[in-house]
Amino acid sequence: MLLMLGYALLPLVWLFVSATKSDADLFSSFGLWFGGEFSLWDNIKRVLAYDNGIYLSWFGNSLLYAVAGAGGAALIATLGGYALAKFDFPGRRWLFLLVLGAISVPGTALALPTYLLFAEAGIVDSAWAVILPSLASPFGLYLMRAYALEAVPDSLLEAARLDGAGELRIFGTIALRLLAPGLVTVLLFALVATWNNYFLPLTMLSTPERFPLTVGLRQWNALANGGSGGGEAMYPLLLTGSLLAIVPLVVAFLFLQRFWQSGLATGAVKG
Amino acid sequence: MRMRALLLAVLLLTGCAAPVQDGVRLTFWTWVPGMDALARKFEATHPGIRVKVVNAGQTKDTYTKLQIAVRAGRGAPDLAQIEYSALPQFAVTKQIADLSALGADALRDRFTDSAWAQVSIGGRVYGVPQDTGPMVMFYRRDVFDRLGLTPPRTWAEYVETGRRIKAADPQVRLGFLDPGDPGTVDGLLWHAGATPFRLRDNTSVTLDLTGSPGARAVADTWSTLLREELVAPVPSWTDEWWKAASAGRYATWLAGAWAPANLAHAIPESSGKWAVAPMPKDSPGEAENGGSSVAVVAGSEQQAAALTFATWLNAEPEGAGLLNRELGLFPATRALLRDPAFLDQELPFFGGQRANRVFAAASDGVRPGWHYLPYQPYANTQFKDTVGQAIVNRTALGPALADWQRRIADYGREQGFTITTGG
Repeated sequence: MLLMLGYALLPLVWLFVSATKSDADLFSSFGLWFGGEFSLWDNIKRVLAYDNGIYLSWFGNSLLYAVAGAGGAALIATLGGYALAKFDFPGRRWLFLLVLGAISVPGTALALPTYLLFAEAGIVDSAWAVILPSLASPFGLYLMRAYALEAVPDSLLEAARLDGAGELRIFGTIALRLLAPGLVTVLLFALVATWNNYFLPLTMLSTPERFPLTVGLRQWNALANGGSGGGEAMYPLLLTGSLLAIVPLVVAFLFLQRFWQSGLATGAVKG
Repeated sequence: MRMRALLLAVLLLTGCAAPVQDGVRLTFWTWVPGMDALARKFEATHPGIRVKVVNAGQTKDTYTKLQIAVRAGRGAPDLAQIEYSALPQFAVTKQIADLSALGADALRDRFTDSAWAQVSIGGRVYGVPQDTGPMVMFYRRDVFDRLGLTPPRTWAEYVETGRRIKAADPQVRLGFLDPGDPGTVDGLLWHAGATPFRLRDNTSVTLDLTGSPGARAVADTWSTLLREELVAPVPSWTDEWWKAASAGRYATWLAGAWAPANLAHAIPESSGKWAVAPMPKDSPGEAENGGSSVAVVAGSEQQAAALTFATWLNAEPEGAGLLNRELGLFPATRALLRDPAFLDQELPFFGGQRANRVFAAASDGVRPGWHYLPYQPYANTQFKDTVGQAIVNRTALGPALADWQRRIADYGREQGFTITTGG
């Protein structure tokens, strides 16, 4: 257990320690302990100031893409999963098989056709080009269907219908609440996926001001070790930028895990 | 009244949409930081042309995006920076414009022969050279002085220096060889006079990574260096590598003239401890490692204006001078390489050595006739699993080079090229 914990946390420790080092200490002091001077604040200031503060734009973009993309994906998956689980309509089985099939298609394989499609629509190099594909989450849909099957009793829906509630109202007031833990789970998955998404924004975007953190940091990384002349000492910027980039995900996990854990536990015991 | 207001609005709108009649707007994809300032200087002297500089990502990223955008017919820039090693691929697949048709042949005399040869494919010009990377030997003056050594001039002396270093200080190695970087091995082959890749025309290729005396000499020397553990088989640009370089654990680094910028920025504390010497050699002739050009994208509707910008940036004294002074690129123009102000600079990083003279001499002596494959990016992906394995395992490089050649040949045939192998 401790071994696993150490194994999982070691890269984070290294990242944090490295981000506190000055340029000179970075390559001359031991990797897992602090260098001579504590330069974290200085490094953060440099990260935020570099190239007219482009890091902040990347940060904002990542937030936008993650919130709009993952939030939308979770909502659509919930709606779809609920519909697949609770409504009987022609072609339901085939639709479900289609979703199962879609899970096995890696997003990278779809990037090129999606680009061609979006190029026709004239939305490449815009936020839409990143957000729209993120909205489709077949795995989330599959998960929500499985969850809705168990978490929303048919008798409850029937009772509501007998009381004269419309389907939208039933979904909004009853089903959505029951589905909330599943929704949060899907949201977390989608959040991590969109936050870490690299290839899609890489192909879609060419204006640096629209890059998310993944593409932007990778650009700094290449600047740091490419033979392209010019530039500054990029490694401290890169490391500090990477450290800042994981903060929102950590916050999201700490904040959402309460919903997630309590949700998974409910219904697990006999009522 | 309302009609008139509407008309006025329409007139204003159309007026706004086309503020200047002859206004040309160019987009330029480059990965060199600071290029924006140069574009502003170009605009000052070229009214009517505006250049938007976009850092679209580094080499591989840029190429992927460029290929997708060109195929989609939308979103591609007018100009793109492309390395010499990738230029043939873009030229053969017709994704970049034939600049000979636009009169770029007239620029020939402004550039070094090797730079010009690398942008010329099948007798046509496909890019304007931007920078070159004449290969030299960087060495740690402090280490050499401490151990009482002098810079080796031949490969036999290089190996001997390695042995003496290892005997004197087991912590220090003569150098390293990156198992993931085909560029250095290409440079060594070039330097030894081998021509592993030759493009006869757009469809036929001759491969020879093992047969020539030059290629055999490279394989022999480096097999010995690896077997006796005189050089370390480590990937470059990693944390571990920088640490070792900073601590002076690699006595030499064979690289292009672009390396000082990286050293000065990543390990500034080693300033003054380095020096530059020509590469060890057994016969006269130099080589390059890296370098890139600016190409005009095939779908651009402003190819003439794009060439005007590429010419100002890379061929005219003003642009070329700025590329070197402001952005640290090593020049590709003859004028700058002969400029005393450039040659006589005493570089503090090299303890005041006039290192540009060493670089320029290497640039002057570059062996002609070097070409990259029309599918070099693919060939490079196969390096790690063939030659790279031999480097890591310290086994003989000859068979590994043959293995690499076989994979390159197989792929070329699958792609419809006529492949000839051997000398």
